[in-house]
Amino acid sequence: MEASREFVYKKFAEYYRDPSTEIPAPLHTEQREFGYLMFKERFMVRHRSFSSISNLRAVLAETVPSDVYHSCAYYENPDFDMDKKGWVGSDLVFDIDADHIPTSCNKIHDEFKCVKCGFSGRGITPEACPCCEGTKFETKIWACDLCIQSAREETGKLLDMLENDFGFSTDDLHVFFSGHRGYHVHLEAESVRSLDAMARKEIVDYVTGLGLAVLDKEADEKRRKRKGAKHFILHDFGWNRRLKVAMEKFLLNASKEDLKAVGIRNRALIENKDAIIKRAINEGRWESINGVSVQTWLKLAEYVREQQASKIDTVVTTDVHRLIRMNGTLHGKTGLMKVEFPAKSLADFDPFSGAVAFKKGEVKVFVSDAPEFRLGDEALGPYKNQTVVLPTAAAVMLICKRRAEVAP
Amino acid sequence: MAASQMEKALSSEDFAKYPFLKHASKQIANLDFTISNLSSEKTVFDRALNRVTCAINEMHTGKMANDKKTEISSFAAALILVIATKNSWIKKRYALAVAKTAHAQMLNEKIDTLTAIAKDFDWDICAGSPYKDFRIGFTFYLRNAAHMHGIEWKLVNQIMDRGMVYLNKDKVIRLLQEEVKARVEKRLDIPEIKNLPEEINLIANDLVRLAQEQIGEETDNLPKVVVQAAFPPCINALYADAAASHHLSHIGRFTLTAFLVNIGMTPEALNELFKTFSDYNERLTRYQIEHIAGERGSGTRYTCPQCSVLQTHSVCKNRDELCRRIYHPLKYYVLKQKSLKSA
Repeated sequence: MEASREFVYKKFAEYYRDPSTEIPAPLHTEQREFGYLMFKERFMVRHRSFSSISNLRAVLAETVPSDVYHSCAYYENPDFDMDKKGWVGSDLVFDIDADHIPTSCNKIHDEFKCVKCGFSGRGITPEACPCCEGTKFETKIWACDLCIQSAREETGKLLDMLENDFGFSTDDLHVFFSGHRGYHVHLEAESVRSLDAMARKEIVDYVTGLGLAVLDKEADEKRRKRKGAKHFILHDFGWNRRLKVAMEKFLLNASKEDLKAVGIRNRALIENKDAIIKRAINEGRWESINGVSVQTWLKLAEYVREQQASKIDTVVTTDVHRLIRMNGTLHGKTGLMKVEFPAKSLADFDPFSGAVAFKKGEVKVFVSDAPEFRLGDEALGPYKNQTVVLPTAAAVMLICKRRAEVAP
Repeated sequence: MAASQMEKALSSEDFAKYPFLKHASKQIANLDFTISNLSSEKTVFDRALNRVTCAINEMHTGKMANDKKTEISSFAAALILVIATKNSWIKKRYALAVAKTAHAQMLNEKIDTLTAIAKDFDWDICAGSPYKDFRIGFTFYLRNAAHMHGIEWKLVNQIMDRGMVYLNKDKVIRLLQEEVKARVEKRLDIPEIKNLPEEINLIANDLVRLAQEQIGEETDNLPKVVVQAAFPPCINALYADAAASHHLSHIGRFTLTAFLVNIGMTPEALNELFKTFSDYNERLTRYQIEHIAGERGSGTRYTCPQCSVLQTHSVCKNRDELCRRIYHPLKYYVLKQKSLKSA
């Protein structure tokens, strides 16, 4: 295994020492805190600051870290202790990671092994070991096209809200592939920098649709107590519009089974679909429809809320001191780059080619276990206990994921 | 209505009503007013003292003086008095009283005056037709509304389009109240003023005594011993997870620890408790506990996050009847403990 780590280290070193490697400087580099994980020591160096990107590059070339981060925050003294740094503001950052999203692949490519009793399995890592109830696991995770596709869809919903509801221009939105199995969105606009953690929490709640009054059970009870108060109203903006559009789309295509899955068991919604959509969703007359109660609308709205919410990592956005992976640096678990692409190219940008750092050469490796995967245009795998010659990027990825070793 | 039509120039009458406005401060500079002659300017000084006394006792700033100049100068003089007390409760109380008084006055203002006041706080604001009275940039909304309780203030429940939040007059006035409070708090955020006349220091001491009487009436004390039966459901869930050796998220662990520290569990007792949990790491646990208890780093003692934050990060669980009436897990603990005692 040592030889394999050595090989990956050498490749990372080549990357950081190559003058043609592009590592864009973050806005106001001199005000950021930098941190990096040491390759061999597995030790996180923090509270570093650099007056320029060239100084940082020199350190990266010399130390060759496995992962590089910078603060979303701007500080007066980025290299001081946390409570003496002097926070002056922070970018607004969103992290969407397949880890936090239910994906259609069900993470069947991930493996876990209980540290305590050795029980192992595939799929989503359980909270506690079914054998010994232990909670520590060794995991080997993978990113497949379906994982990326799910993360991409969540990012799309986020970008739509940031543009249409929050009014950011596409120039304000910096969209990145994270280097593993997700996306980052950074906003550096002056107007958001001074927002505190509570303001950011409200933005998170907006993006996830948390606290929508129309779905609030306690408010609904209060409304019912007031005589003559309308129980269900949706206007034409933001989330209300989103709910209406999604409800219409869902109803138009819904079968009896789809409705059952939402907990709705009446025939009226299927049989008089068009008339109901017109009267309720288009004309706003939600009540007094035979067979469709306010409770039905609430169930439906709750279901589409879940669909329309963007499943971001809530902790990242609310943390005004967060360290985030630096653009143009390598991910220690894949050897892929964090890379920026235009917001409008979200659907077309292919991380498995656009984020490949090592484009030349081949390496002979012994692969213990790898599912079928793709890098660039090449379809590779599945492999099981076999020696194969792989393109450098694929070999680096499998070694980083502890699924392969350099063959002698 | 176009934005230009909405704006008006504020008059000296407005400045007397809203002496915290930037332009009002400029007028004070022209009013021949210095700290050393403060106590000899009797009308100004009396009104200033009246402002602070009313703020402490009744949470408003008292009856306005007839003379506009006195009204504006006495605002500045009151700030000096408050700073002289070096008392953080008085500072907060005074800022809140100024803000609440302004709120009451703004309710009688027309759209154009309100727009001018909002612009004094650099708001991005214009007419909100055809939906509401105003529309304001969402960051200006969040700066003030994010700390407000109640779902009617949540951003997700506003009409927001292309970065602008549409609001009626009453909500704009409530948000401006927050701006006023923040501005006054900022102006009071000075540790001390050197070389104040002795007379002012004596009065400041009286004000501190007055405040202490008021504080005595308001504090609701936490019970002296830990009453586990009064834990809110979120804390119970975290506690149960930790005891059953399930993994706690970072924020879950922080919430549990900060809650227990704040209800008076000693770091030693906490450490003993966490020892029984499966993923116990002595060095890390001790560090976290001491950090939260304010025995390390900046010395700030952390409180546990409020309910809305716990909801955002999915830590809020099993909400019950009492949860609907509180915004903070510690408040739940205080109320529940009281009801247990009386039962």
